[in-house]
Amino acid sequence: MSAVAEAIEAGSIGGRLWLYSNYHCNLACSYCLTESAPGVERRELSPDRMLDLVREARDLGFTGIGITGGEPFLMPRMPELLAELSEILPVVVLSNGTLFTGARLVRMSALGSRDVQIQISLDRSEPVANDEMRGPENFAKVVEAIPRLVAAGIGVRIGSTLAWVDEADMARLCALHRSLGVGDEDHVVRGIVRRGRAKVEGLGEDAGIAELGPELTITADGAFWSPFGPTVTGGRLDTDLMVTRGTRPLAMAADALVGLVDGSSYAGPTDDRFT
Amino acid sequence: MTPDSEATAEPRVALLSAERAPLTTRSYFEAGDPGPITASLAHVPELLEVALPFFGRALAGVTVDPRTAELVIVRASAVLGCSYCTLTHAAVALGSGVTPEEIRSLCDPDAAPQEAAADERERALLAWVDVVAAGHGEVPDDVAGPLMAAYDEATTVELLTMVGCTILLNRYCTTLRLPTGAASLATLAASGLQPSELAP
Repeated sequence: MSAVAEAIEAGSIGGRLWLYSNYHCNLACSYCLTESAPGVERRELSPDRMLDLVREARDLGFTGIGITGGEPFLMPRMPELLAELSEILPVVVLSNGTLFTGARLVRMSALGSRDVQIQISLDRSEPVANDEMRGPENFAKVVEAIPRLVAAGIGVRIGSTLAWVDEADMARLCALHRSLGVGDEDHVVRGIVRRGRAKVEGLGEDAGIAELGPELTITADGAFWSPFGPTVTGGRLDTDLMVTRGTRPLAMAADALVGLVDGSSYAGPTDDRFT
Repeated sequence: MTPDSEATAEPRVALLSAERAPLTTRSYFEAGDPGPITASLAHVPELLEVALPFFGRALAGVTVDPRTAELVIVRASAVLGCSYCTLTHAAVALGSGVTPEEIRSLCDPDAAPQEAAADERERALLAWVDVVAAGHGEVPDDVAGPLMAAYDEATTVELLTMVGCTILLNRYCTTLRLPTGAASLATLAASGLQPSELAP
């Protein structure tokens, strides 16, 4: 068994390999880690590159794939790519949930029989507060899209990113996601990490390797400690959580991550708000 | 752009601070500012981790004494017109038995290399450095012969690697416009050497 597989089995690094498919987005959320927006540099991983990475990940002992961005569904072949990737490893893809209409929704239907979960961002129980952070009409588009995906048999999770938890609003939000067909076990709540646009806006809390669990994350720019690592602040890529610049072969980057974890500087995550 | 404004121009890549340095390069920043070569190479951790030990071994000399090493490095850097390497190693040379007057001669690319040589062996060495650093194609026998008569094969390999590493760093530092450190400039000033008389 490789050192990477042993580390995954022992739980010292995460079993999910994260891929940043792209950095551009149709939204510009106020707490976005990557300053994603329609006009930003795309920094894409090509579909073929993602397939190669996932095959390598399976051979190294990774147990799942996470895809994030940017908005992954702005990539033209994303529904078909997810189907292909899920034949190799189970996939979770993070989305803002605003693009599941028309022809794309039809193409998504093939994912109903696949090991693919779509994690859709929804932060608040009512549109004004939600859309203040995420942009106009976001709430309406999401609550329309989720039942369509659920009806197509596609696994849906809800991801809520919050500076603090308002218990009353959280109760309403949970009632809402249940009514949309998403159970409590598929509702993920995390804090705002003070990086990227959140740092510029003064939102969230600082988080480094002491707070962020090690989950190998690959982008067009290199390999990072966690999916919270390859952020963009003031238009510049943050390199403080970079592990390696190169990502070929994936084993090199994975070995470097394991080496960091085995070193004395990391004692395991102490804060579960960002995991 | 005037030569003066080029000399004070900003580096062409960001010099990473300890706070921005990739996780796998942090150990190089633990003792403080590691200097602009490390701070720029940290953009590519995989290069940094192999390049720095190589630079250190190649430039420090394995059996070559410190004076000989600095004669080679300063002269090659002057021939290549690298301000950063010339000034940085001129300061190191002062602590390695090279006099200020010898440094002035080494740093003048138009001066005959023999002017900085203390003996026949160093004359052969510096003539050879000039040709290896600035030459094109074969190194002629009348230059290589005296060098190899003065030094054994192992030392010749060592000296050639030293010149090659210096050339690499000359072009790296010049192209990226890396700034000479204040400590080096202070060392030179204390010996009456001005940067303007030593480097472009």
